[in-house]
Amino acid sequence: MIKSLSVLWQPAFRPFLLLGVVLAAFALMSGGPGVFTARGGFSVFQHFATIGLVALGLGLTMLMREFDLSVAGMMGLGGCVAVLAGNGSAATGLIAALAVGLAGGLLQAWLMVRLRLGSVPVTLGGLLTFVGAAYVVTGNRSIPFDNMEMAIAINAPLFGFMSVRALVVVVLFMLAALVIQFTRVGRDLIATGSDRHGALIAGANPDRIQLGAFACSGALAALAGAMLSFGLSSASPSGGVADILVPAVAAAILGGISLSGGVGRPLGIAAGVLVLCVLRTGLTTMGVAPYVHDVVTGAILLAVAIADGPHLRMRLHQLGIPRKAIAVQSKGGMI
Amino acid sequence: MNASTFVRPASAAREKYRASMSMHAMAVGCAMAALLVVAVLTPGFISLPNLIALTGTLSLIGCVAIGMTFITLGGNIMSFCLGATCAAASMLVAHLSDAGAWLAGLAGVALALVIMVVQGLVIGLFRANPLIVSIASLSLILGVTQYVAGGQTIYVSGDALSMLKSRVLGVPAPLLVFVAAVVVGELMLRFTRFGYKLILVGSNFEAAEVGGISTWRTTVAAYAAAGLFTGVAGILLAARYGSGSMEFGVGFDYSAISAVLVGGTAIGGGQGSVLRTMFGVVFIAVMQSLLLLYGLDVQFQYLLIGLVVLAAILLQVRSKS
Repeated sequence: MIKSLSVLWQPAFRPFLLLGVVLAAFALMSGGPGVFTARGGFSVFQHFATIGLVALGLGLTMLMREFDLSVAGMMGLGGCVAVLAGNGSAATGLIAALAVGLAGGLLQAWLMVRLRLGSVPVTLGGLLTFVGAAYVVTGNRSIPFDNMEMAIAINAPLFGFMSVRALVVVVLFMLAALVIQFTRVGRDLIATGSDRHGALIAGANPDRIQLGAFACSGALAALAGAMLSFGLSSASPSGGVADILVPAVAAAILGGISLSGGVGRPLGIAAGVLVLCVLRTGLTTMGVAPYVHDVVTGAILLAVAIADGPHLRMRLHQLGIPRKAIAVQSKGGMI
Repeated sequence: MNASTFVRPASAAREKYRASMSMHAMAVGCAMAALLVVAVLTPGFISLPNLIALTGTLSLIGCVAIGMTFITLGGNIMSFCLGATCAAASMLVAHLSDAGAWLAGLAGVALALVIMVVQGLVIGLFRANPLIVSIASLSLILGVTQYVAGGQTIYVSGDALSMLKSRVLGVPAPLLVFVAAVVVGELMLRFTRFGYKLILVGSNFEAAEVGGISTWRTTVAAYAAAGLFTGVAGILLAARYGSGSMEFGVGFDYSAISAVLVGGTAIGGGQGSVLRTMFGVVFIAVMQSLLLLYGLDVQFQYLLIGLVVLAAILLQVRSKS
């Protein structure tokens, strides 16, 4: 019994288990099933579309044991560039945003690889630079997006509960899952995250993988920003750590990505994002104030940070928690 | 193997360290000197209103940056929740300002201390990822303050904090507070056991642990110091705007870590000082003021700060390798 339960708690299953638990909780609560209506579902997938790609990009860098802080800045910059370049034709805007995202990601990764720098310092500088660039290109104003047809089309409901924007995100998640699961690049990425030196010896090229992962992360964040700004039909510069980075990190971690790298899959991240979105929509339809969502997200993130802490087991042992309990916990396998 | 095998690498490392230190000091010194020359030559820079305006933001960001220095030095990179902590403290100060400035100030500092010590405990005891913990705390602080204050701005009653708006011999009181904070912070780093331990923990965690230092206590103390200085910044914030609101703290984390890095404290920890952070704060403030005086818009400040921080990070690596 215990054994079968601990299989369910494996990192690969954990996000889906959590998603099931959250969905079941809302189904059972009075006033909760609002999530399951077409409107509730649409709202869930709109949130999903907003943070999904950022979480995926961040998750890819976390998979190879790096951390891309700059996604929060890149999302804002991508939105601003897309609207500025896309007032004539939306496609130009999208391409411009993607190009900026790719270039930003590649440049940062090149600095890391070339100068042997950690990802946190470089992307911290990148975050500040991208936020500044967004302020400069917009001239510190909110830029309106005149292409109303595009704004409506990108949020038009498909199949009753999903917008075009959300569909793009779902497709990209599936693509990422296929690449990670079935291609050599995917396996090299995970190998690099598990043991960079080992991966190098085994014939992978960690530097090239790093360039690719950060290019993806930059492009995905810029795309997310572009689609969000098109949908809102305006773009304004901001470096939202609170509203972008927090949910993205929380989603990636809930999605089974370990802070120590090499563990987790794109579909898990998708489930993690969905957990957050369902929580948010469910709490809103139940009439709970928005701050509860902040508190819940923060508490979950803090709990996972503690559970992932390398010294947790040592401290539990010091407190006199019996070895057996610790053994069961470790079998559950946070890392 | 004789003794010299051990001695030589150590002394070589020390020489290298000294070389990198002096190179760094030179880089910072040259940049500061160049900036000051430009500043003095710029008409309008050395005018009383401009200098007073300069010290206002400088003291506020400066106190938060001193707090950030302790976190960075101890090897925990940075915290994303110092701005929110500072704003929350300023709200409490404003709320309690009826009861007198001292009590309100103490309560604000105590709140910031508690918030940061809890994070320090989580990070020190479990070695949880400091960035994730700070992001989680940011979310928690925003949620809880929203619940407690209902998203409102809390005003300081009467002139409870007028003390901090006065000038002593022509020097604005916030600047005096900042200078005092620099002195206290630098003394804590240089002349206390906590300071030595913090540098050691930051430069080599495993060695510190093997050497018998209780690393979690040092980490908690570093976060407590961060809370202390952030709380002081909260008091200055409440005094400056005559009110407390979460909006005021937005962006403080970025400014603070920028100042720390530009000052030359190593992002990996173990190398740096409060004095360097002070130079970083002054450097950024003077640069911003100059940009404004030359008629460039605010947005160029943001971009330039980003680029300067990036440059500071790249420069650190160059001097290390």
